Amino acid sequence: MAEPDERSRAIIDGIEAIDPRYVLHLPSSTLVDIIDHVQARPNTRAFPIPREEEGVGILAGLELAGARALAIIQDNGVGNLLTALTTFPMAYHIPQFYIVSRRGGLGEYNSMIHVICEKVEPVLDAANVRYFSLDGRVPIEDWPATVTKAYEYSRITHRPVMLLCNLMGG
Amino acid sequence: MDALRLVDAAFPDQPIVVNVGAAIREMVAAVGSKPNHLHILDSMGLPPAIGLGLSLGLAESRFEKVVAIEGDGGLLMGLSVLSTIGMLAPEKLVLIVLDNGTYGSTGGQPTASDSTDFAGVARACKMVANDVDSAEGLRGALNEARAIEEPVLIRVRIGPKTEKAPYFLEDPAVLADTFRRFLRDGPARA
Repeated sequence: MAEPDERSRAIIDGIEAIDPRYVLHLPSSTLVDIIDHVQARPNTRAFPIPREEEGVGILAGLELAGARALAIIQDNGVGNLLTALTTFPMAYHIPQFYIVSRRGGLGEYNSMIHVICEKVEPVLDAANVRYFSLDGRVPIEDWPATVTKAYEYSRITHRPVMLLCNLMGG
Repeated sequence: MDALRLVDAAFPDQPIVVNVGAAIREMVAAVGSKPNHLHILDSMGLPPAIGLGLSLGLAESRFEKVVAIEGDGGLLMGLSVLSTIGMLAPEKLVLIVLDNGTYGSTGGQPTASDSTDFAGVARACKMVANDVDSAEGLRGALNEARAIEEPVLIRVRIGPKTEKAPYFLEDPAVLADTFRRFLRDGPARA
C-alpha cells in the first residue's frame, strides 16, 4: 500500500496534468505537500480561502469566466459548503472540481474529527453531489489519471465533482 | 429600485452579479432580464465571492469592470470575503452593498448593519470604499469606481421599502448559459 507521501505525489502529478491557472485551498495538515506544491507552481495563482462556501462562489466565478481552476479542501468542511454548492453551481450547471482529503478512519490521530468525516459519503449521496474516491484499494499508479479524469468529468457533466482522497493510509 | 437602475445605467454592458430575491425582481422589473446580469436566485451571501472569481478570471478580458450587488444581510453572511478581496486585489471588481438594514426578501427582519461600518471594514481590508445615501451620491461613486484600478466597495443606504414585482422563475441553468454566452460573445466595449 502506498505511503502518504507517495499518495500526495500522485495527486500532484494529476494536478500538473490539469495545469490549473487558479487553485483555492483551505488549511489541512494532510494536504501540506500538495498545497506547498501549487503555491510554488509557476503560472498558477494559489490562494487561501477562509470558508468552503466562499470558495464555492469564487470557483464558480472563475469557471464562468473560462479559467482553469480547482479547490483543495478537507472533508470535515464539506458540511460548510453544501447549501452554496447545491443552490449555485449544481442548480446553474457550472462545473467545479474539488480535491478533498479524507480524515477519520485508519491512520487518524484526532479523537473527534471522524464524527463528521466518516459520514461524508452518505452526506454527499443525500445531496446528490458526484464524487469519486482514491484510497488504498486503488493502485497508486492509477491515481494521477483519476485526478485528471475526475476534473474532465466535471466539465463533461456540467456540475461540481469531488475527488475524495485518502492521504493518511486507509 | 432607483439604486438598481443607476447601477445598470453606469455599467450597461459589463458583467453584473445581482443578489437574491427582491433585488433580482426589482432589477428585472426596472430594466428587464439582461444577458450581462447573472441573477443569483437563492445563494444569499455568495454574490461577492462570485464577483471576485469573475473579476479574477476576466482580468485580461475586454471587460472594464465586474460588478457584484449584495445586500447588507448577505454580506454579513460572509464578511470574510472582504479580506479575500483585499488579499487578491482584483482591479476590476466593484462591490455594491445595498443596505436597507433588513433582510428585505424574507419579511424585513433586522440585520446588524446599523452597527457595522461596511466601508470602514472594506478600507481596513485594503479596498477603496465609499458610503453614500442619495441618488446623486451613488451616481458620483459609480462614476469614480469606473476609473479606479483597485477593488471598490460602495455602501448605499436605501430605505427598507421594496417594490412589488413578480417572482422571477427562470431556469437557473438557462441563466448561467445566457451569462456565459454574454461573457464569450457579448457586446462590451473593446
